[in-house]
Amino acid sequence: MLILSKNTLKMFFITFFLSLFSFASIAKDTVNILGIYPFSGPYADSGELQAKGALVALEEVGYKINGKKIKYITRDSETKASVAARRVQEAIDSEKIDFVVGPWSSGVALAITEVAKKNKVMYYFSGGTEDISGKKCHKYAFMWAANAWTAMDANLKIFKKAHPNAKKIYLFVVDYAFGWTLQKYVENLAGKYGLEVVGVDRHPLGHREYSTFITKAMSKKPDAIYMINFGLDAISAVRQMHNFGFTPKKPVVMSWSSGMEELIQLDPAMRSNLIVGTNYYSSIDTPENKAFVKAYKKKTNGIPPGYAPGAGYGLMKMVLLGMKKSGSTDPKEVIKTLEGMKGKAFFGDFEINPNNHQTIRPFFVLKTKPESEMKNKYDFADIVAVSSTEQPKNMNMCKNIGNF
Amino acid sequence: MTFLIISQILNGLGLGMLYALVGVGLTLILGVLNIPNFAHGVLYALGAYFAYTIASLTGSFYIAILIAPLLVVLVGFLLESKGVRRLYSAHHDYQLLFLFACALIIQEIIIIIWGTVGFSLLPPPNLSGAIDFGIIIYPKYRLALIAFTIFIISMLFLFFTKTNYGAILRAGIENRDMVKVLGININKVFLFTFGLGSYLAGLAGALATPIFGLTPSMGMDILPICFVIVVIAGLGSIPGAVIAGILIGLSQGAATIWYPEATNVVVYLMMGLTIIFRPQGLFGTR
Amino acid sequence: MKKYYTYIALLIFLILGPFLFSHATISEIIVYSIVAVATNIMLGYTGLLSFGQAMFFGTGAYISGLILKAGLPIFIAIPVSTISTFILASIVGYFCVKRTGLYFICLSFAFNQMLYFIAYVWVDVTGGEDGLVAVPRPEFLTNSLSLYIFITLIFLICLFALRRVVSSPLGLVFQLIRENPSRASSIGYNVKFFKMISFVIASTFTGLAGSLYVMIHSMAPIDQIHWLKSGDIIFMTLFGGVGHFLGPILGVIGYIYLSDTLSIIWARWPLLMGLLFALVVLYFRGGIAELIENLIKKYKIFKKGLDDEKSS
Repeated sequence: MLILSKNTLKMFFITFFLSLFSFASIAKDTVNILGIYPFSGPYADSGELQAKGALVALEEVGYKINGKKIKYITRDSETKASVAARRVQEAIDSEKIDFVVGPWSSGVALAITEVAKKNKVMYYFSGGTEDISGKKCHKYAFMWAANAWTAMDANLKIFKKAHPNAKKIYLFVVDYAFGWTLQKYVENLAGKYGLEVVGVDRHPLGHREYSTFITKAMSKKPDAIYMINFGLDAISAVRQMHNFGFTPKKPVVMSWSSGMEELIQLDPAMRSNLIVGTNYYSSIDTPENKAFVKAYKKKTNGIPPGYAPGAGYGLMKMVLLGMKKSGSTDPKEVIKTLEGMKGKAFFGDFEINPNNHQTIRPFFVLKTKPESEMKNKYDFADIVAVSSTEQPKNMNMCKNIGNF
Repeated sequence: MTFLIISQILNGLGLGMLYALVGVGLTLILGVLNIPNFAHGVLYALGAYFAYTIASLTGSFYIAILIAPLLVVLVGFLLESKGVRRLYSAHHDYQLLFLFACALIIQEIIIIIWGTVGFSLLPPPNLSGAIDFGIIIYPKYRLALIAFTIFIISMLFLFFTKTNYGAILRAGIENRDMVKVLGININKVFLFTFGLGSYLAGLAGALATPIFGLTPSMGMDILPICFVIVVIAGLGSIPGAVIAGILIGLSQGAATIWYPEATNVVVYLMMGLTIIFRPQGLFGTR
Repeated sequence: MKKYYTYIALLIFLILGPFLFSHATISEIIVYSIVAVATNIMLGYTGLLSFGQAMFFGTGAYISGLILKAGLPIFIAIPVSTISTFILASIVGYFCVKRTGLYFICLSFAFNQMLYFIAYVWVDVTGGEDGLVAVPRPEFLTNSLSLYIFITLIFLICLFALRRVVSSPLGLVFQLIRENPSRASSIGYNVKFFKMISFVIASTFTGLAGSLYVMIHSMAPIDQIHWLKSGDIIFMTLFGGVGHFLGPILGVIGYIYLSDTLSIIWARWPLLMGLLFALVVLYFRGGIAELIENLIKKYKIFKKGLDDEKSS
């Protein structure tokens, strides 16, 4: 008795050979970009927004660059490094991706940067880790967000400007490597601006219950609580600080914030007297940003962009800028062009440090305004000032960016 | 230092009472229906989201707290009668897996209805702000929360000890077959228990909103703590669940004073110690 | 006779695999196939539901990753992580089987989360939230196709070993415990002891699979030790088919293929996976394997009907 009939065997081999062609190389008349964002799982809200920002950048150039069509695909990172790595690798293998942007979570980014390095594709990330342009730097990876040291320096400097009589600050620090690094920077820089750290409490990432931390902080009678955390952690803390009556009497600093996305989740009363440090805000006064905000608002029924879409837009813009200036769509040429590039972007003046691929750029510090002063329902804050001071060389952990 | 310790006790108590509510709900379902309710977390989340919508529509926090848990009960009824009961003849592991699948589904439905972005809900105006007791300043809402949850738990105890139906439930936890033999409609008992467990979860979610806000993943986030409470308390022990919940809340408060990074680890440490030294749980009978 | 069909189908799939999927994806499918078939020893054969498989997978991955990072060869990494997982499984299993089935599930879940937190907090060893990255691959496996072949060979060895377990008297005891635990104990079998053996076997092979996984993307991320991953593993096993030895493999392929494909189409795709899971639990408890078996049976009956008609 035959296991498989002759006809079935024939069909089987035909299908087999046909499937081989799914992996045959496609003629390279397109430039292939992958956006990997969290569309599901925690941070699904940020992923959705990042993707929208990226679309604005692509629409601006009509999905064409240097005479080639742009093939842009997205994949769900699920904020799981294992899944993201598999999907990025699969996209590189089957869709011939040369450029990767995203995701949201730095943990996932650290996994993707290794995949990018192994496959020699260019990778642009924005987020809360120093390692992409630090310890784990390599020739193919770039960091869009301001360096953490730059951010902390900006926060302290401008906080002091907004609250000249404040002296004592109490730190809430999210308990993982990035948090510890920022804490170290704050402790080193505070004195320079006439501030004193009177207490530090580390809380686990994803923590929601801050009553205990707040009561502890309040016992030390600080002039402000300075938070080194973000997202829901920061929002929960701010919410509860308001419950306890710490704000609005005293200010709270959200030192690494998404700006709009975090503030929108707070009630106006909870939003009072906050100093918000962020990599992007919709009121940035450049013509390019105004155009971006206008185009973005069309996609969201009028909600202005915050950091997530700003970063989505910014990452894609940088990749496209590199291609335009180099006249090429070869990752190596784009990378060589971006290294050392100086220019004006929608977020201000920037320079890309060729030694660690860090973008030297402004970090924005905002002050929230009371409801009575809001010009429209999304007018949460005003930019007080910006700062672009570069991290001192000896602090940067990228000792050798390597070669192609 | 006294300020700190008193506040931390109150903080731990408030948090612990919320944990106790969810823990008791889970223990009930576990004890009577013999199923670890993997959908318990999303029922908690639904309570919060329903409360948010009702409060936004009616402008009243109190109406929201009243109605939201009842809506969650309806969802619970649906889960039990349309799903869990159908799987009664199959191995009871399948009832558990069904509830787990439902948890995944409901979490996404929450996102479809309410979106991916989180919300805040303010406490009612007369419970906003804090009271200055001299030695400590403490938010009004949290004090009200402690008082209210103590009230609910007391009502529960009265129900279990003084009413016939409560006695049936306690009997069901001890020996389900005996209850059947006594001629009581076990399906009604199951439906009621699942509904009561859902009510408690939904109520806890609604009450938690002014403190924790709302986010789609809040259901899956609280699930592990629910199971730790059940393990520490011991299967089927309702007073155990209350005490375990409070214990966990207090130890997290204590950890914050001396070793804040360990606020999560301390929970699992307690669970580990319980498993090693008293595997049936603090109050477990089986 | 039927047995040979399935093994030949498997071999064909293993050969075609690298052409149907990217090498990293097919390697991942094979790794999870080890996990699913091993987990089925516990779930399908012994009737034990554990929500803790991720902790063994993760432990295997971390230990293997650390050994490889220390510069030691893969032939030390695999055995050491397997033995370590065996020890962990024995400890966890001992506590889990002590109490009733219900407690078993709660405990396995809670243990899993405990280990997740240890991994999360012990940043110096596991990398915490960032995971263990830049794990070097052994030189002879830098080519992704050769890694796939290596993983597949280990997979076949595991299959052989697990098949031996299942066909042996031990396998029969497992099934007896599933069908009728009180009968098993009245015959004289120490049910708790055998449940523990089943648990340890399933978990140790899962740890072995983890030790291979770390080479695919050169990392051991934190999400593979999270309890939701345990849920995924149960889903894959159930979806594939708990009533068949090779059944779970279909679940792995289905799950990975569906999640990668659906996630491109709809951001709310976990809803569809949840619905699929619920449907399987309600109506298709035998999984894909049983579905295929039923289809083949129907086809055979149909064919026999035709043959009967022809001959009459």
